[in-house]
Amino acid sequence: MGEMHQILLKIGPAAFRIESAWRQPLDQLADLYQNYPEPTGESVDFTVRLEPEKPWRRYIRPSVHIDSDFWLPDAAPLPLTQGLLAAEIGMNLQMALGWRRHLLIHASSVEKDGKALIMAGLSGSGKSTLSAMLAERGWRFMGDEFALLSLNSGEITAFPRLISLKNKAIEAMQNIVPPSRFGPEMEATPKGDIRHLVPPKQAIARMDETAKPALLLFPRFGHAPELRDMGQAEIFVRLTQASTNYVALGEAGFHTLTRFVDQIPTKAMDYQSVEQAEELIESLWSQLP
Amino acid sequence: MIQKYRAAPKDDLIWHGLDSMMLLFHRPSGIAHILADPAPAIMEVMEDAPLAAAEIASRLTVLFDVEAGADLEDIIFARLEELSALGLLTRVSG
Repeated sequence: MGEMHQILLKIGPAAFRIESAWRQPLDQLADLYQNYPEPTGESVDFTVRLEPEKPWRRYIRPSVHIDSDFWLPDAAPLPLTQGLLAAEIGMNLQMALGWRRHLLIHASSVEKDGKALIMAGLSGSGKSTLSAMLAERGWRFMGDEFALLSLNSGEITAFPRLISLKNKAIEAMQNIVPPSRFGPEMEATPKGDIRHLVPPKQAIARMDETAKPALLLFPRFGHAPELRDMGQAEIFVRLTQASTNYVALGEAGFHTLTRFVDQIPTKAMDYQSVEQAEELIESLWSQLP
Repeated sequence: MIQKYRAAPKDDLIWHGLDSMMLLFHRPSGIAHILADPAPAIMEVMEDAPLAAAEIASRLTVLFDVEAGADLEDIIFARLEELSALGLLTRVSG
């Protein structure tokens, strides 16, 4: 084993150590996470290691194998040019599989006036792009991947990691955000074209501020604009599917999720453009108590 | 021999209403079940006693506005078997 480089990152409540056999992904991370605070204290919550798939792969057509406390067998090695993506995937996996201090819901979230809008949905629903867009239009970005729901207070804690833009969303954001906030272009990754976007400065500066969940949406991109009511049983089931640690949390997860479903107004939202979505969101938001 | 059933101990169960359905968290397994009528009512009237489908039918008829019909017992029997398969009831020899 050769020398390992490392970087420490604090994102919301979680502290990470990223170790890498190569400098390049860490230099990219250091650049993109330059406005984030350093973890305080001695220990980190998770360690992600980027290592050569085989020892000789360190130099010849380098291929990144992600190693960490929690792992999924189907995560393929990535070329070194996608080392940044590997680090981001590694951090997400650690949160998804290892975090126990909150109920994690696979959802994006933004905040206004201390209240959080949570958007849950499958990949391709547009939840990540919507949160990135709203973050440029007066909302505080809290996260595009996980909404962290407190087991005690039921409040949302921010996890504002880099925003992972895919395919057409990249160009849409390039039209309104300066180039300095973008990471390198990564084309034809296993998830399509990906480019990371640094959240707005205030989203990073205020990442320790929690917010009260006020509205839950299940967005669906590509259908005529419409808002629909959902039954509580459907909401509950979809949230258990969207949560990465609901089962692991046992009874605490059940209580947290039932309280959330009881209290939060929820709609399914179809839309074909960000403008339409914003209009629908504003109409719902203005009716909140 | 008449097949009897006993509901899981009350302390093992957490009930939560969801619109028209009931959510039931089963502590020993850590699994949440969504139950539609009449399954929650069946479990409610069983209390701690080992009961057969006919006894449950008569308890339900007292408490709820149950439509008269010969198939009530069959419906209850089918639900009892389903709830047993989920581990929410146990079969007791009569």
